[in-house]
Amino acid sequence: MICEDVKNEVIVDRVTKKFSKGKVDDGFEALSNISFTIEKNEFVTIVGRSGCGKSTMLNIIAGLLSPTEGKVLINGKPVTEPGSDRGMVFQNSGLFPWLTVEGNIEFGPKNKGMAKIERQKLSKELIGLVNLEGCEKKYPRELSGGMQQRVAIARALAMDPQILLMDEPFGALDQLTRESMQSELLRIWESCKKTVIFVTHSIMEAIYLSDRIIVFSSNPGRVRKEFKINIHRPRQKSSVNVMKYYEEIYEAIN
Amino acid sequence: MKENREDRFTNNLWLSWMGFIIILIVWQIVSATNLVDSSIFPGPISVLKSAIIDVPIRRLIQHIGFSLFRVVAGFIIGAVTGVIFGIISGWYKKIGNILQAPIELIRPIPPIAWIPIAIFWLGLGESSKIFIIFLGAFFPIYTNTLKGMFNINPELLQAGRILGLKGIRLLLKVAFPATFPDIATGIRVGWSYSFGLTVAAELIAADNGLGYMIMHARELGQITVIIYGVIIIGLLNLFTDFLIQQIIIKRKLRWYYITTNV
Amino acid sequence: MRRLIKNKKINLSENIIKIGTVVVIIIVLELLSRVGLLSPYKMPSPTQILIAIREVISVGFPKGVTILLHLKATVLRIIQGYLLAAVIGIPAGLLIGRSYILDRISTPVITFARSVATISLLPLFIAWFGITEISRILLISYGCLWVILTNTIQGVKQIDINYINAGKVLGANKRQMFFKVLLPAALPRIFIGLRVAVGVAFMVIVAVEMIGTVVGLGALIQQSRFYYSIDITVAGMILIGIFGLFLSVILERIERFILPWAFSLEEVER
Repeated sequence: MICEDVKNEVIVDRVTKKFSKGKVDDGFEALSNISFTIEKNEFVTIVGRSGCGKSTMLNIIAGLLSPTEGKVLINGKPVTEPGSDRGMVFQNSGLFPWLTVEGNIEFGPKNKGMAKIERQKLSKELIGLVNLEGCEKKYPRELSGGMQQRVAIARALAMDPQILLMDEPFGALDQLTRESMQSELLRIWESCKKTVIFVTHSIMEAIYLSDRIIVFSSNPGRVRKEFKINIHRPRQKSSVNVMKYYEEIYEAIN
Repeated sequence: MKENREDRFTNNLWLSWMGFIIILIVWQIVSATNLVDSSIFPGPISVLKSAIIDVPIRRLIQHIGFSLFRVVAGFIIGAVTGVIFGIISGWYKKIGNILQAPIELIRPIPPIAWIPIAIFWLGLGESSKIFIIFLGAFFPIYTNTLKGMFNINPELLQAGRILGLKGIRLLLKVAFPATFPDIATGIRVGWSYSFGLTVAAELIAADNGLGYMIMHARELGQITVIIYGVIIIGLLNLFTDFLIQQIIIKRKLRWYYITTNV
Repeated sequence: MRRLIKNKKINLSENIIKIGTVVVIIIVLELLSRVGLLSPYKMPSPTQILIAIREVISVGFPKGVTILLHLKATVLRIIQGYLLAAVIGIPAGLLIGRSYILDRISTPVITFARSVATISLLPLFIAWFGITEISRILLISYGCLWVILTNTIQGVKQIDINYINAGKVLGANKRQMFFKVLLPAALPRIFIGLRVAVGVAFMVIVAVEMIGTVVGLGALIQQSRFYYSIDITVAGMILIGIFGLFLSVILERIERFILPWAFSLEEVER
């Protein structure tokens, strides 16, 4: 058990999530008996149809929802609420429209009490990391979708979390922007090495990005199958190996 | 957690009524303990008693009848002209410009401000009040109809043209229905303005109707009747607005509301 | 309405037609008056109206009460009534919006209170407080309160859950969530309430001033009717309209200043 804790940064242990509409039995089971583990600095993607509970799973790991049964352990400690060890990027960026790019990025550190000079240094670094120099004083509304997501990533990284949770972050982008964001993400990930738990319904995206893929089935959400992607990065979406994985995963989903 | 709060109160209905119950109780207590002189601040029970005694149902219905007549008359005239003008202005841009100019200039003047001059021109009778109410209904409905015309999805018009419609037929069969949601909004706004204006006009210059009933009660010192009248007006307003909403939802705009899940 | 304004910007010929129409109407009215077809007692000519406007501004109506005094009285009433409503409505709205219980309890009451025609309370307030400034101010407060309250409540209730989640994930404690996430997120909707409330205040006060007072914009037009000075009446109406426009322009400026991020880029540049 102890050895497993050391290797596994995240342990999802028999998590079940039921939503109820008022009366106790009249519920909707979003997740049923989910168990999986994630190692440090792994890039893991949860793939499944829309509505299979993958966002719910992510929210539980983030601490925004509590499981009806089971628990989630991060480095051995159970998750009860959001914390600075887990950063999150939302599908619609979730950027605060009343703050500038800088303001958004510095939001977390400011709440923690970081001094102004340090904050500014940090946000400058991160803005550079996500390639948005010059946009510091802009408001989210003035940015394109891809740029907004980059700010969202920088904002999450500003808390220096060990784990980065990403809930279909590229879902609202057009195909071309989406693809360039995927490479951007890999670049950023490679330079700051964090554990990433990514959620998407795009199989190709999952294969392109991840070390490991967990397939969820729907109604209720369950772990169908896991796949380890043994291809060197950067991966060619058209390569034979990738296509093989694609077919297998596609079958697993259906 | 918040998501479970709803099943804590299995009967949400009684929560909704709690507000009224609390207010009625507090009201009765304040008046009964004579914190304020009870002739000036009567409790709900006195109001109810007075309602039965001082205002016979027949009288009340008369007053309501007069008020409703004015509102409906003024509103219909305002709504019909508003819609027609709005559609014409939106479809025929040149006419639109000509019509818009004076309308935009007159619009900032609140209908209330027209009362003195309406009375001067049309006397103290029904026509002056109906005129005011007409103004109250016309502007929001005109504006919303116009907005609706401007915001018609061009694809709809293109589809209509492809199907062989043009000119007036295109207007009537495609453009006009497409503006229904905006017209509906205008109607609800226009109705609430009309209602308030009726009461105002009746307060200032009338000898029947709910506004008059309240003003007259004040002159007679019957505070209970004033409160009664205020409540009746509120209920009537709520009820008519509800009616209009139902009519709109059930008939003209089923297609709209079904998709937007109202 | 903004879309109409943008169209105006593009179409100069449209503007010419509009201005032209107005000019034509004014000229026609003037001619009809001169020719005698329009009785000056029923409908004053444009020149008479202009003279009346000047009179109200300089000499005043009734004598000595210039438009400035009327304006001052009206504005003071509006401001006091409005501020009272805002001071109660915004905090109450923030509280109710955050609490499911409070919301359920108060919604029916608020809905009913809102349906009560504000002006219908005037006789009641007169009976309680007499024909005084208090009655008028309280009446304005009543009218504004519900608008501000309901919009504030909606502003809180309709906050995008992503903002809340983002705030939590970024480590905001309860106080920080309230001031740095909830409040800014609800502000645009609160402002809508504040803006509509000004319109309401304006309409209520004009009506109220027609009863029992001789100073104030509403009083101006009502009194002038009693004296059969219709040119003053029309002058007063026009001035009221101008004042109303002025109010909405000011409000828009204020809103743009406080909430620059709520407007799209092109509008900010304008």
